Amino acid sequence: MASISVPIGSVPGQSAPRPRLRVSDYLRWSVDHKIIGVQYMVTAAFFFIVGGTLAMLIRLELLTPNLDVVQTGSQYNTLFSVHGLVMIFLWIIPMMAGFGNYLVPLMLGAKDMAFPWLNAFAFWLIPPAGILMVGSMLVGAPEAGWTQYPPLSTLFSGDGQTLAALSVHLLGISSILGAINFLVTVKNMRPPGMSYWQMPLFVWAIVATSIIVVMATPFLAGALTLLILDRVGGTTFFDATKGGDVLLWQNVFWFYSHPAVYIMVLPGMGILSDVLSVHSRKPIFGYKMIALSSMAIGIVGFTVWAHHMFTSLQPELRIPFMITSMIIAVPTGIKIFSWLGTLWRGKIRFTSAMLFSLGFLSMFVIGGITGVMLAMIPFNLHVHDTYFVVAHLHFVLFGGSVFAIYSGVYHWFPKITGRMLDERLGRLHFALTYIGFFFTFFPMHFAGMLGMPRRVAVYMPEYQGLNATASFGSFLLGISTFLLLYNVIASLRSGRLAGANPWRALTLEWATTSPPPATNFVGDPVLFEDPYGYGTEGASDYLDAIERRFGAPSQPVVVDKPASPAAQGASGD
Amino acid sequence: MQGDLAERRLTPKEELDLKNKRTGLAIFQVSWIMVFICMMVVHWQIRAQSPTWPPEGVERLGIVAPTAMTLALIFSSLLARRADRALKAGQTEIFLWNWRMTIALGVLFVLVMGFEWLTVPISGQYSNLFRVLVGFHGVHALVIGALLVRVYRSALKGVYHSGNFWPVEGAAGLWYFVTIAWILFYVVLYWS
Repeated sequence: MASISVPIGSVPGQSAPRPRLRVSDYLRWSVDHKIIGVQYMVTAAFFFIVGGTLAMLIRLELLTPNLDVVQTGSQYNTLFSVHGLVMIFLWIIPMMAGFGNYLVPLMLGAKDMAFPWLNAFAFWLIPPAGILMVGSMLVGAPEAGWTQYPPLSTLFSGDGQTLAALSVHLLGISSILGAINFLVTVKNMRPPGMSYWQMPLFVWAIVATSIIVVMATPFLAGALTLLILDRVGGTTFFDATKGGDVLLWQNVFWFYSHPAVYIMVLPGMGILSDVLSVHSRKPIFGYKMIALSSMAIGIVGFTVWAHHMFTSLQPELRIPFMITSMIIAVPTGIKIFSWLGTLWRGKIRFTSAMLFSLGFLSMFVIGGITGVMLAMIPFNLHVHDTYFVVAHLHFVLFGGSVFAIYSGVYHWFPKITGRMLDERLGRLHFALTYIGFFFTFFPMHFAGMLGMPRRVAVYMPEYQGLNATASFGSFLLGISTFLLLYNVIASLRSGRLAGANPWRALTLEWATTSPPPATNFVGDPVLFEDPYGYGTEGASDYLDAIERRFGAPSQPVVVDKPASPAAQGASGD
Repeated sequence: MQGDLAERRLTPKEELDLKNKRTGLAIFQVSWIMVFICMMVVHWQIRAQSPTWPPEGVERLGIVAPTAMTLALIFSSLLARRADRALKAGQTEIFLWNWRMTIALGVLFVLVMGFEWLTVPISGQYSNLFRVLVGFHGVHALVIGALLVRVYRSALKGVYHSGNFWPVEGAAGLWYFVTIAWILFYVVLYWS
C-alpha cells in the first residue's frame, strides 16, 4: 500500500538541532500555537487541582452521614457547584482545546493556526474567567450546581452566582473563538495531498467538536445573558410568579449543555483513535466510520437535550427524546467496536498511554450503558437526581474525558517537551487511577438506586458503607494525580531524550524535531499517504528516515522491526 | 474585472490569508446568529405563558416606524454591498458615496430604534422582551456601526483600493449580519 519514496533524511547523520523551551515564553502573550497549547494545558491542569481539592472536601464531608467538614448545607452547595463548574469549564474543555491547539497545525503540516492573534486572545480570556470563578466563592457563593437552575440561581444564590455566570460567559466566548479558528485551519490549511479522508482522526474529532461549539455555545451565551439580566437587570424571565418560566432555562441551557457533553468527550475519542492505532501497531479499523460517527454524534447530540428534563417535561414529549437519546448510542457503539477491531490481533504495547486508552474503553462503556439506562423513562424517573446520575456522569467525564487526557499526555509529552515521561511511574499512576476511580464512582450506582439524592451533605446512615468506599477511593484518586505531576516535573528535568518519534507514529506531528521549531517544520513536511498505515515496509522506511533526519530517542522505545518476513504481514511497523 | 485582476496579484500567503478571513467570517455569522435564534426561542416560550399576547391590558407596539427602519437597514446593507463592489472595481468615489449612505441609514436605524427602546411603556414581560431583544440587537448594531465609521475614516485617507479591501468586505459582512439578525427579531416582535 505504502509506496512513496522517502526524500527526508537522504543525508545520514544530518539531524536538526533541538529547540530549547524557556519558561518565560509561556508566561506572556504569544501567538505561537505550540506555546498557546501548553498555556491552555497548564492553566487547565491548575484548575484540575482546584476542582480536585473541592472534590476531596466533598468526599471528606460525605465520609460520615452528618455535617462535619462544612458547617452548613449552603457551604456544601458551594463546594459541589464550583467543583462542577471548574471541572467542566476550566479543566476539561480548555484541556481539550490545549491538545487541539498544539496538535492540529502540526498534524496538518501547517506553520500555525489560521488566526494566531485570535488564538492567543481566546486563551487569555481564560485566566480572568478563572479568577472570577474562584472569586465567586468569596462573595455570597454560587449554590445552584453547575446547571445553575433558576430559581436556585436567581432567588437563592449570592452575588457569586453572577460572577460565576460572567465567568462561564467569558469561557463560552473563548471556546467559540477557538472553534472558529480550528474549523478555518482544517478547511484551508491542509497540505497539498492531504484530503479530508487522510486527516488524523484526532483532527476529525476536533472538527466535529468545533461544529458543536459554534452552533451550541451561543445558546449558552443567550441563557447566561438572561440569567445575569434576571439577577442584576430587574427582568423576570425565570420568575414564574411574574409571567416568566423556570423551564425556559432548562430548555435553553440543556440545548447547549447536552451537546457540551460531546464537546468534552469527542476530542478524547480522537486521542483514543490515534493512541490505540499507534500502540497496537495496526491500521485503525473503520477509519471512515470513526470519522463519520463523530459527526453523527455531533448532529444527534442536538436532538436529545430534554432527556435531562423527563420529570418536568410535558409527558407527550418524553418518548421522542427517549428514542433520540438511545439512538446516540449507535454511533458511539460504532466507535467502540472499531477500536476493538483495531486492537484485535494487534501487537499491543502496554505503554502508559495505551493503558489509559484501554481504561477509557472499559470505563466509558460502563458510562455509556448507564446512559442508555437513564434514557429509559421509567428508570430515569426512579433515579432522577440521585447518585446514579452522579455515577453515570463521572464515568463519562472522568472515565471518558480525563482518562483520554491522561492518555494524550503520556502520548504527546515527548513531542511537546522532547523528553519521555517515566513509564514505570506512568503505569503506577494508571493502576492507582483505575482502582481509585472505580471505587469512587461505582458504589454511587448502588447508592443512587437505593435512593440517595445527589447534592446533599447529610444522608441516611445506611448509605455510609457505600459512601465511605467512595471516599476512600477518591482519596486514592487524589493521590494518584500527584504521581503524574511529579512525573511531569521530574521528566522535564531529567527524562530520557525522546527523539523525533519515540512511538514510531505516522501522523505528521512526529515528522519534525521534539519539541518542534518555531515554524513547526524545516522545509515542507513530507506526508505519509496513510496516517494509520502501520505494518508495511513503506511505513517502516518512512519511520526510519524520520529518525535519521530528526533524531532518535536516547534508548529505543519501540523495537518493532519484524523478526522474520513471515511475521511481517500481521504485525511489524 | 479589475477586482479580479487585483486579486490575482496576491501572493499565495496573502491569498490564504484572505481565504481564511472569508471562511472565518462566514463561520462567525452562522455561529453568532444562533444567539439571536436562542432569543427567539425565549420569546416564544415566554409568550406561551400568557393566554393572550400581548398580555391583557398591554397595548401592542406600533409597527410603522420599525417597518420603515427595517427597510432602511436592508437598503443600507444593499448599499454596503454596492460600496464593496465599487471598491474592488477601483471606483473609489462610488465606493465612498455608497459607504457614506450605508452609515447614514445605519445611524437613522439606531436613532429611531433607540427612541422606541427608551419610550416603550414598562409593563411586564411584553416590554421586557422587547427591551432585551432590541437592546441586544442594538449593542451589535452600535459596535459594528462604529466599525463602519472607522473603516470610512481610513477610506477617506485613501487606505483602501482594489488590492486592499478586506476591512471593507469584512465590515460589510458584519453589517449584513446585523441586518439578518434584525429581520429575525422584527418578524418575531411585530409579526407573530
